[in-house]
Amino acid sequence: MTAVVLCLLGRPVLTAAVVLAVGHRSPHTVRGAAVAGSALCWLLAVVVAGAHLGDAAPLRRVVVETASVGQPLGIVVWVDPLSCVLLLLATTVSLLVQVYSLGYLARDPRYPSYAALVSLFTGAMATVVVADDLWMLLVGWELMGACSYFLISHHWELPEARAGAVKAFLVTRTADLGLLFGILVLGERFGTYRISEILSDLAAAPPMRDALWLPALLLLVAVLGKSAQVPFHTWLPDAMPGPTPISALIHAATMVAAGVFLVARMHPLFLVTPRVLTLLAVLASVTMVLAAAYALVADDLKRVLAWSTVSQLAYMFGALAAGAWSAGVLHLLAHGAFKALLFLGAGAVVHAVGSTSLSRMGGLRTALPHTFAAMTVGFAALAGVVPLVGFFTKDAVIGAAWEEARDGRLLWPWVAWLLVAAMLLTAVLTVAYAMRAWLLAFFGPTSPEHTGRAPHDPPATMRVPLYVLMVPSVLGGVVVLDPAAVLGPGGGADLLHGAEALTTTVLVALTGLAVVLLWRRRGRAVWPAMTWPHLPVDVLVERGLVRPVLRLAQVVRAGERDVVDAYAEGTEASVRGVGRLLRRTQTGRVQSYLLVVVVGAVAVAVLAGSLA
Amino acid sequence: MPLWWPLLLASLLFALGVYGVLVRRNAVLVLMGVELMLNAVNLNLVAFDAQLRDVLHAGQTLALFTIAIAAAEIGLGLAVVLLVFRTHGHVEPARLTSLADRDVE
Repeated sequence: MTAVVLCLLGRPVLTAAVVLAVGHRSPHTVRGAAVAGSALCWLLAVVVAGAHLGDAAPLRRVVVETASVGQPLGIVVWVDPLSCVLLLLATTVSLLVQVYSLGYLARDPRYPSYAALVSLFTGAMATVVVADDLWMLLVGWELMGACSYFLISHHWELPEARAGAVKAFLVTRTADLGLLFGILVLGERFGTYRISEILSDLAAAPPMRDALWLPALLLLVAVLGKSAQVPFHTWLPDAMPGPTPISALIHAATMVAAGVFLVARMHPLFLVTPRVLTLLAVLASVTMVLAAAYALVADDLKRVLAWSTVSQLAYMFGALAAGAWSAGVLHLLAHGAFKALLFLGAGAVVHAVGSTSLSRMGGLRTALPHTFAAMTVGFAALAGVVPLVGFFTKDAVIGAAWEEARDGRLLWPWVAWLLVAAMLLTAVLTVAYAMRAWLLAFFGPTSPEHTGRAPHDPPATMRVPLYVLMVPSVLGGVVVLDPAAVLGPGGGADLLHGAEALTTTVLVALTGLAVVLLWRRRGRAVWPAMTWPHLPVDVLVERGLVRPVLRLAQVVRAGERDVVDAYAEGTEASVRGVGRLLRRTQTGRVQSYLLVVVVGAVAVAVLAGSLA
Repeated sequence: MPLWWPLLLASLLFALGVYGVLVRRNAVLVLMGVELMLNAVNLNLVAFDAQLRDVLHAGQTLALFTIAIAAAEIGLGLAVVLLVFRTHGHVEPARLTSLADRDVE
């Protein structure tokens, strides 16, 4: 089984190498290699997951490690149910994205590098989820940051794509410093870099409350950056100029999911540091409401979805902060399914309309029936409509927060209540923005601004992934009935909450009704073009970081020009001046030269004689 | 004969030669100054040879060498002077400044 896991880790790298090697020589071979590589990855993930889901013993194997002094580092795999479900999620979405990209990027000149990077991205995520050694996890973590940078800047001729990529890279890289220092602190406290050993140490001898606040806080910083939570939330919406399948990959399966995964993986560490958990709960509450509010007014369909991702990730962090491990993980999986569906559907809409602006869509229901069906399921799952997966997992999350607020073991009481209130408010906002985007894109009159050829459904390569993703979005709720079968004995909590489920359903229904009534009465005028003031994060970064750095650069440049260069140029000028003086003596008169020689010789002779 | 007589004569000849080389305005006379200096040296060589009673007469041998070289040198020198006269129309060393550093900024 270890060999299978290693194959799974190596396969994406191999695929990327093959795809890059073939390059532009043979378009069909490139596409075949990319899709076949992803399919093989998916098969390997299924094999691994089939053996280790549920209550099977986790696989832990040291493949290779350093034998020098100090704590050993190495390639150590640890496959437990959490790794398995994330492996399945990542490889499935990656495979579907590769298939989808066949149609979406059919005429893209940069397809080979794109396919290679998608493959590498998936491999990096797989490395993160099966890593037992924290340094191995860090490698995958950073590799994902680099891949996301390259993929967001796929259309590098657009200035906003370049800016978004640089922003994503800088923000996540800055936050990643937290992971690096967190790993160092953990290694120093526990004497090992193995996650499994750290967790078993924690279970065997629980430390004092909050004794480990420093590493937990450092890990939290990295997680907030990777998962785009306040105050690092600005990079994710700005990453939208990337190709839409990449957005699906980043939002559903790889990049932002890694943040939630890390908190879930190190959950026992966070459970013994309630202060950090409280901070996480506050930040998650702020993030989910803010992001949902932005999603409500964004005009760009992909930005709506991006803010929605930020908001839903905050739900997961809220659940994890409330101590509800399985609810958070299940919401991550459910979100992966329906957000991939939504992004791929949005890609189909963009493909048909040629713009991401909601104001240029409208009445697409009849023109794009397949896309309409897919997006309807996706939005319904996002809003938490009853039989779909989003309903069950969101209910589990809200129920867990409710229990935490009522019984209160981890969080400060008012923070827990704040969390519950934020979750309920966000549930309402989620319904509102999901319905808004749905109505604006698919109902009402056809946009007058839309010109050109009639919009039509995408080709089969883009339709099939939509249908495949509809299955888990609709039926995924079954998992909530028996989470232990998937997540193992640790995830066996009761995740169905009658009262909360009823409350949220009523809220969803009322909000939906209100939105539909407003739409009936006022049409598209319900949503005038408006923007809400953003948190001054970007301004603060600009004022506090970017400008001082620029000013420092100016100082350095001035120092270079006025001090260092002055010496260099001064040397040149003085040599030139002395040379000009000496040239005066070169008169060409032989007799005056000789006179100097004779006078010099006499002077030397006299000097030598007087000294002797 | 005491040694300082020929040495004094040689010094006077040498100084005369140096003076001629440095200040004469005619290249032929400059060459004559060079000859004076060479012969002052020859005088020294012969004087010391006699004074030291050298059985190999190295001083006289070297003086012969110098005379031969001086003959060759004066041949070359006069040829140069002739060529200078042909190209420049004069033989004043002070006016022959084509090797001066001309392009001082």
